[in-house]
Parts: sequence; C-alpha cells; structure tokens
Amino acid sequence: MWSSVQRWRGVALIGAIAAVAIWLAVTGQLVLYIHPRYIVFTVVMAAIALVLVVAAVASAASRRARDPEAPASRRERVIGLLAAATAGVFVIGMLVLPPATLSQATAQQRQINATAADLDALDEAASADDAAVARFTVREWSGILRQTSDLSFFADKPVTDLVGFVAPDPDAPEDVFYVSRFVITCCAVDAQPLGVPVHLPGWQERFAVDSWVSVSGSFVANPSEASQQPLVVEPDAVEAVEQPSEPYLF
Amino acid sequence: MPVALETPQTREARRASRRWGARHLVAAGLGLAGIAGLIALRATTAGAGPAGLPDAAQDLITLATSVIIESLPFIVLGIALSILVQVWIPEQWLLRILPRNPWGRRAAISLFGMFLPVCECGNVPLARGIVRRGFTVPESMVFLLAAPILNPVTILTTHAAFGFDDGILVARLLGGFLIANVLGWLFSLHPEPERLLTGRFAEQCRIDDGHQHGTRAEQTIDLFVRESSILMPALVIGAIVAGAVQVAVPRDVLVALGSDPLWSVLAMMALAFIISVCSNVDAFFILPFASTFLPGSIVAFLVFGPIIDIKMLALMRTTYAARTLVQVTVIVALLSAVLGLVVNYVV
Repeated sequence: MWSSVQRWRGVALIGAIAAVAIWLAVTGQLVLYIHPRYIVFTVVMAAIALVLVVAAVASAASRRARDPEAPASRRERVIGLLAAATAGVFVIGMLVLPPATLSQATAQQRQINATAADLDALDEAASADDAAVARFTVREWSGILRQTSDLSFFADKPVTDLVGFVAPDPDAPEDVFYVSRFVITCCAVDAQPLGVPVHLPGWQERFAVDSWVSVSGSFVANPSEASQQPLVVEPDAVEAVEQPSEPYLF
Repeated sequence: MPVALETPQTREARRASRRWGARHLVAAGLGLAGIAGLIALRATTAGAGPAGLPDAAQDLITLATSVIIESLPFIVLGIALSILVQVWIPEQWLLRILPRNPWGRRAAISLFGMFLPVCECGNVPLARGIVRRGFTVPESMVFLLAAPILNPVTILTTHAAFGFDDGILVARLLGGFLIANVLGWLFSLHPEPERLLTGRFAEQCRIDDGHQHGTRAEQTIDLFVRESSILMPALVIGAIVAGAVQVAVPRDVLVALGSDPLWSVLAMMALAFIISVCSNVDAFFILPFASTFLPGSIVAFLVFGPIIDIKMLALMRTTYAARTLVQVTVIVALLSAVLGLVVNYVV
C-alpha cells in the first residue's frame, strides 16, 4: 500500500485541485479566491496539470520497470501516510463544501479600515461629477473618510446604492454597522477589510451580520457617542440584496 | 521489391504492441473519467447551501483554499520548468555558461531567476532539479533564495508599487542578492553538503546518478508523478497551517508595532512569515501598509517573505533537512532584520 500511496498521492491531489480550479473558473467563482488577472494563467496551468495527470494514469498501463525508490523507514512511512491523509481530507473538503467568501469574523480580526485604501480617492472625489460620485464603492468612500472629516466636503455628495456586507462597529454595535467589502491584491489570503459606517439604531432586528445590503443616504456627524467614527451615513434607505457575483473589490 | 515475410514471431509482436496501445487508451480513458467524475461531484455538491460551519472554521478553509489555488499554477510551472531542465536541456548548456570560480558561479546562479521567472513555490521543484543535475547543495540554495526576488516579474511589480521611493526597490534587489550569496558561501563551508538534504532526497539523487531510464516522454511523466507526490501534500499542509495562523493571530497586534524602527521591522517579518504570499505580488499586498510602517520594515518584509514563510518551509522540508532549514531561517532573519534597520536608521 505504501508504494502506491507514495506514487499516486501527488497525482490524485494535483488532479483534484486542478479539476476544482477549472470548475470554479467555468462557474465564475475563481474570483472568490484569487485576483481576476490570474484567472487565465491558473486555467492554463490547471489544464496542463490535467493533461499530465491523464498521461501519468495512462503510463501506469506500461509494464516497464520503475526506477527504484529510496527505501523509507517505518517512521517516514507513518508521517508520509498521515500527511497524505490530511491533505486528502482537505482536498475532499474542497470538492464537497460549497465555495464561500470570507466572513465578517475575518473582517473584525483584521480590523476594518486598518490599512489605507485608495489615497487618491479624495482628489478624485473633489473633481468628480454627480454620476461618478454615485458610482463610488466602499473602497473610494473609506479612502475619503480616512483623509477628511470635513462635513462640508460631503454636502453635495450623497451615498447611492452602496453595496457591502454587514459587520458591527466594535465600539457601538447597537447603533452603528459597517457596509464592508474585502479588497484583494493577489488572493483571498491578503484580503483587507474596508467599511463605511452607517448609523441605524436597532439594525440587528432587520439585518443579520454578514448579510448583504445596499445603502443610500448622506454623511452626518456621528450621533453615537460610543463610536470612534467622526462621520457616519444617515441612511434614507437600507435594503437587503443578494451577494454580488464578485464579492471582493480588486 | 522485397516482400516482408510475416513470421509467427513478428505477428505476435505486432499483436502485443496493439494490445499495449489499447491498454494505454483504456487507462487514459479511466483517467479522463476520473477527472470528469471529480468535476461532476463538485458541481452537484455546490448547490447544497452553506455548510453551517462556524465563521472561523469556514474562513480557515477559504484562506487555505485560496493559498492552494493561488500556488497551483506556479507549482505546475515550476514542475514543468524543472522537467525541462532535467530531461530536455542538454547538461552542458547550463554548466558551460557558468564561471569556474565559486563566488562568480554562485553570483551567476543567483541570477538564474531572470530567465526562469517562477515565484517561490515553483522554485522548490526547480532547485531539486538542479541538484539532480549536478549542482552543489549550497548552489541550489543560492538559486532558491535569490530567484524569487531577482526575477523580472517581481522587479516589475515592486517597481509598479513603490517606484524608486525610499530606496525600497534597490534595497530589495541588493539585499536579496547579498543574502543569497552570503548564505551560499556559509553553507559551502560545510564539510558534507549532502547532509544538508533530507535522507530521502539525497538517496534519490544517488540512485539517479548517471542513469536515465526510458524515453524522454517516460522520464517526463515519471518526474511529474514524483515531484507532485512530494510537493502537493506539503503545499496543502502548509496552506492549512498558514490559514489557521491567520485566523488565530489578530492583525492589530502587528499594526500597533508599525511606527517603531526596531519593532516595525520584526512585526513586518512576522507578517511575511504568516501571510505566505507569493513574491510576484507581495509588493501590492504591502503597499497599503506603507503609510503606517517605516520603509525599512517594508524592505524586511519584501526580502524575508519570499525566502522564508510557513508555506515555503513546508515545501523546502521535502528537500532540505530540518536542521538546515532552522539555520537558513535564523541567518536569513538576522540579515533581513539588519537590512531593515539599516534602511530605517541610515537612509
């Protein structure tokens, strides 16, 4: 058993992972894990891997003498089998668990707005027309909020249909939540949570944490005393929406 | 015109070869059916709705999956280039172009990455390939350490992220080059370089010596099977550990340290170790931190991260002995920290 596990574990793992990658690409879900610019590269390399996997399986039909393998000690075999089993279980998980986005647990753990997002956003916003402002995402708004808390700047800049998932403000969880998105530079590993605070006392009764909402409203001085945020959105409308097909911003 | 007489022997041989071809076709068909089966399984289980796991567990799976999916193309590219170097490129090509003197030789090897632009996960199979091709173990380390930094993709992305601000790009390239060469020199002093390798890999290199089995196509498949069997379990386990650590260590602990000249360097190295992101893109990852962290700590992140991180240690463990990796980690960490401090205090 050892020699066939040793010979086939890698082919099985790489074949299963490449199959998952291709299925994710076909169903448009590869963006849950990596930046869109890597999609073509990933698909091409996964396809090459699958060709090699089929060739490897085909070559198993040869009755050719194999190169001798280095002998393994009992301890090495046990470790090797355990490693193969662990990796195998995880990859079976990749095959049967539905793909998911990162949740607000990671957003809290990484601290929303801990990093500077779009530092050009303020300059852009100063000269943007109404249509451009209406298209601003969480990325632009959080960048602007980081650089200014001057209310007059926001006077003619309402928030329009801002989409994100709900994450509570850790300082004032009753009154304020963040409309949040993760921003990705390479893959979900480096996702940075950004958020725009929304003042809506009792929001928990209407929206579950992690559910997706669309918010329209305007910026006001934060009425909540516990919250650290100087400005918040006072919403005119908050609606539950479906999770977008590209939940991350790039 | 001579008529080919069909003796019973040749007829038997022809039948055997036809049976042989048919057996391969059946096996290939089974392989294709297996892959189709996996995709069908994936497609049918996708609609099952949320798995109902706790957030932290679900995020651990998402993060680890993301590391695996992101590394997969680079691993495949690395294995492909490794096969190219070992099976398809004549041995003399690589050895002829190198200087004789050991310092010059190592310096030239540290620039191999300019022609073999794989990021760090793809470098491990390549480094294994060049050891099998007769390079010394310290030389393989020079390549492994320098290539992720001194390669065109990394240089382009680092330049795109930072330009020439604060000397970050120059410090990264020079630092990567120096660290790789210093480390290569230190290990070249080792009396028995073979002991730097894991017992299994050293044994395989010894068995390989001088013998080539089968046609080139057969060797290609054999190498693919062998390399993937060693690297894939390491990749998956490295990804699980990296995901688990990320779920467990709060990010604000690291960020709070960002403005101190010493602590910022150490915090950034810790972040690089945990995050295990590819060298081709780590500059974009670290860019948003540049406003809160000092430039020296950014340089330490960009030099330490491509060489040492959780995923890389798991992958390198397939080839180098645990003792060697501890030494490499300590030396690289010290040198990166010094480099970061120099940039913080001097530049």
